[in-house]
Amino acid sequence: MTELFNKILNRRESSKEDAKQRLKVLLIHDQVDLTPAQLDAMQDEITAVIQKYVEIDRDNSVVRLERGDDRIALISSVPVRRVIERALPA
Amino acid sequence: MSECIVVTSGKGGVGKTTCSANLGVALAMQGVTVAVVDADIGLRNLDVILGLENRIVYDLVHVIEGECRLKQALIRDKRAEGLYLLPAAQTRDKNSVTPAQMRDLVAELKKEFDYVLVDCPAGIEQGFKNAVAGADRAIIVTTPEVSAIRDADRIIGMVEAAELPEPHLIINRYRSKMVRRGDMMNKEDILEILAIPLLGIVPDHEDIIISANRGVPVVFDESSVVGEAFRRIGRRINGEPNVPELDFSEGNGVWGTMKRWMGFGAVYGVAS
Repeated sequence: MTELFNKILNRRESSKEDAKQRLKVLLIHDQVDLTPAQLDAMQDEITAVIQKYVEIDRDNSVVRLERGDDRIALISSVPVRRVIERALPA
Repeated sequence: MSECIVVTSGKGGVGKTTCSANLGVALAMQGVTVAVVDADIGLRNLDVILGLENRIVYDLVHVIEGECRLKQALIRDKRAEGLYLLPAAQTRDKNSVTPAQMRDLVAELKKEFDYVLVDCPAGIEQGFKNAVAGADRAIIVTTPEVSAIRDADRIIGMVEAAELPEPHLIINRYRSKMVRRGDMMNKEDILEILAIPLLGIVPDHEDIIISANRGVPVVFDESSVVGEAFRRIGRRINGEPNVPELDFSEGNGVWGTMKRWMGFGAVYGVAS
């Protein structure tokens, strides 16, 4: 409802979502001791491995860490365009 | 059975000392005996918030070093029956005390008082270790800000590492107006991130500054919404965990004023 009002009144987006998202990322990095740059590097390497087997939509790929109740999980969503055809091992 | 509760936050300036002072008074108002201990050695302030700064003769370090008896250092708050302050030393540093000494001191206090509230210094070093040493459980104070919540998360981890039970959360300086327009994280946002049980919310209010100016904790003010927030938290600590949360969203402004005119009783109401 508030969002609707904001849209009607053409107001700027609320800042609390920014705060929340920044915090979530911050807390994960605090816990795993991994910088955003290292996470980016990891994402590049992971996608490089996937690309050896399937053709993917890199622009829409996400690899991120997420906090669950008592553990941190690596969440990735990598849209596959098509399977790369290659010879099956004999 | 008596209990020692440490009030901590990680980050400085979120209102630990204000919470310690007001909760000490709130508990005493319920008829239990309370010792509030200022563990912020070198930067004592709990005495000032309580308005007892002129009555300090001995402090916590004097007691630990055996220069006086515990009873000589305890300052009785004449306004709140059963409330005593053990002030910190101002001219010493955190390393004047060890966790083992704090544990012994708290054990002594627990013999005499129903509650021992320890006001923890900011930071995660020696001062924090001393403050949690004798504690049975912890209250984490935070504000709805990224930096304070980040530090609260860190401290929650350290409280768990100190083998205390799951701590409870006080959200301080809550601004309903900003929450309503989406410019401040709300209760649910904060609890989702920190994932510990909520003890209470304290609204951001100028009464806090006025009461600090005067050295009279706001909880003494029967008509103050912040005072009521602290009184309710006090009751939740002392065996009434289900005291409802305050609805301070219409404390001021047109609707709040109308409500008051229409005789809805107190300035503050109960959240639905």
